[in-house]
Amino acid sequence: MSVVSINEFISLLANFPIFAYLFSFVQDIIISILKTGPIPKHVAMIMDGNRTFAKKRNLSLKQGHTAGAESLVKVLDTCFRLGVKVVTIYAFSIENFNRSKEEIDTLFGLLRDRLKLLAENENSYSRVNMIKIRIIGNKSMIPEDILQDLEKIEDKTNLETSEKILNVCFPYTSRDDIVHSIKQTSHQRMNGLINKDSITLDYVTDNMYFGPDSLPLDIMIRTSGQTRLSDFMLWQCNYNCTIEFVDTLWPDFKFLSLIMILMKWGYYKTLEMESEMNKLNEKDEKEFVDILKELPPHPPHKSVTDRK
Amino acid sequence: MTTVKVNGHTWSTHSGKSKDKVVEAPVIHNEGKLEPPNKYRSLNVFTVFYMLINNFLRSIKILDKNQTITELILYYINHSILLMVFFIMSIYKNFLWIYRKIVLKSLNVTYYPNKSPHIIRDDVNKLNKIPKRLSCILNFKDEDDENGGIDGLIFDISELVAWSVSAGIAELNIYEYNGIINTYNGELNRYINKNLKNYFGTEYIPNITIKIPHVGQIMVNDASKPVDLTVNLLSAIDGKPTIVELTKTMSELAVNKELKIEDITIDLINEELIELVGNEPDLLIIFNPNLDLQDYPPWHIRLTEFYWEYDNKDVTYAVFIRALQNYAKSKVNVGK
Repeated sequence: MSVVSINEFISLLANFPIFAYLFSFVQDIIISILKTGPIPKHVAMIMDGNRTFAKKRNLSLKQGHTAGAESLVKVLDTCFRLGVKVVTIYAFSIENFNRSKEEIDTLFGLLRDRLKLLAENENSYSRVNMIKIRIIGNKSMIPEDILQDLEKIEDKTNLETSEKILNVCFPYTSRDDIVHSIKQTSHQRMNGLINKDSITLDYVTDNMYFGPDSLPLDIMIRTSGQTRLSDFMLWQCNYNCTIEFVDTLWPDFKFLSLIMILMKWGYYKTLEMESEMNKLNEKDEKEFVDILKELPPHPPHKSVTDRK
Repeated sequence: MTTVKVNGHTWSTHSGKSKDKVVEAPVIHNEGKLEPPNKYRSLNVFTVFYMLINNFLRSIKILDKNQTITELILYYINHSILLMVFFIMSIYKNFLWIYRKIVLKSLNVTYYPNKSPHIIRDDVNKLNKIPKRLSCILNFKDEDDENGGIDGLIFDISELVAWSVSAGIAELNIYEYNGIINTYNGELNRYINKNLKNYFGTEYIPNITIKIPHVGQIMVNDASKPVDLTVNLLSAIDGKPTIVELTKTMSELAVNKELKIEDITIDLINEELIELVGNEPDLLIIFNPNLDLQDYPPWHIRLTEFYWEYDNKDVTYAVFIRALQNYAKSKVNVGK
């Protein structure tokens, strides 16, 4: 409850220039404080709740999605300013093709426009900040005209100097990803590039859409209170990854909500690192005593079989 | 003839029939055992304080980059503020821990099955739907812990079996990272049946089948009667390693021209994995203080609903029934 209402209050106040300035100042301070602690390298997000948001406020579907896109820009900015290397977003699931044609077209158009806005000009956000945009997923399912635009965006942002990556999963499901990897691996074997023994866990992982140089996932965030993964990064998130399900709807998920998740993660990470350090310093010095050997000797055996 | 040395005496075992076989007693290997990352979650305030001070001191040693003095000072100010926030968080977390423990305790009192299937069925019948397949992530606790070791695990599983049968669930998956329980399935079966007698009486015991998909072993209690509950014992090996093995097989078939690469589809892989591991569960209860999937088979958690109770380590009926209640409220709309 509290996060949403605080967020609403803040967004109301932010309409005044003085407060807007003050907030950005406070945000800068919070970011520089948080930066001194551990920061996750890879964050993934399932942006759920745009439609519920629209329904709640009597907005059209399109307005709901637009509000979600605005929220995304803010969250991305915060992540990258904090020093997160890779952000992955679930933009469109293969299952989403079940939606109405109108909504699919809206979503495709919105996504293309937003990405264009991020990457089109020399002074666009992702090019100034050296962020590489990658489209992850089954590209054969994207309509031709949109695919061309997306590939143009990928090319434009694919610079050698860019250290940060924005993965846009579009259209993606994790099962499709796993099958894609199995196909790729089989293909490579058929062409004689590898033999049976070189198929390992790492090899299969490297053949996924995310590619071999992708960083392991640290945090997965899903908004709007659903507690399931909906076929998103199942392979990547099931080990050594913090999964956060938050009740906030995606358009309401803003700076503060994100900071709270990262703060919690940083807290546990610090403790984990500290106790590992302590373990290294202590190095098992416990001595175990064999109680049986420490006992005083027992009386001599005397048995009926000993009788001569 | 075998000789066994005990206490300085050499004992020879003569038996008229044949040579005696020396059998090694099974050893529980603790190495490589996965510890869930929850041990840092219930640290007391003083330990955390000590750790944070340590962290600060260490950061002084590490920092010797080419920075200006102001940057350096700013770093220290910021970092100490962060650590202070962490310290306040640790106080808050401790209170939260106490609060949650109290809630859990009172829930355990509220929902008590009293070894009666009727009570469980009554609780379940208030819900509008229940899962067909239930999966539980259990931890192998330390032998020294309360309800720990193999015995604790067997006890927890047999309770879960009794609750699931009473609730009317058709399939129960038990996931334990190391798969330790696989070697004790005889004991497990005996204890499950013993526990079921406590619930259902000695005359008519529900018919349980225990499956270990990885080994391909099925243990049937009464083949003549219909099965009331199938228990699948899963471990980390049923997850990613199985998919890797499947990749090997698929590529082998492709090389031998028995399978076209285009024919490898989601449906085909799904069929194979259902065969090798089992079906996707509807509900996954994580009996862990936090949400940690512990390398659970990734293919099988596509639309699975998760349930876990913060700061809870025990397998209790309250958590079980609350998970079912939560499941009854959930709505699945694939893609829509």
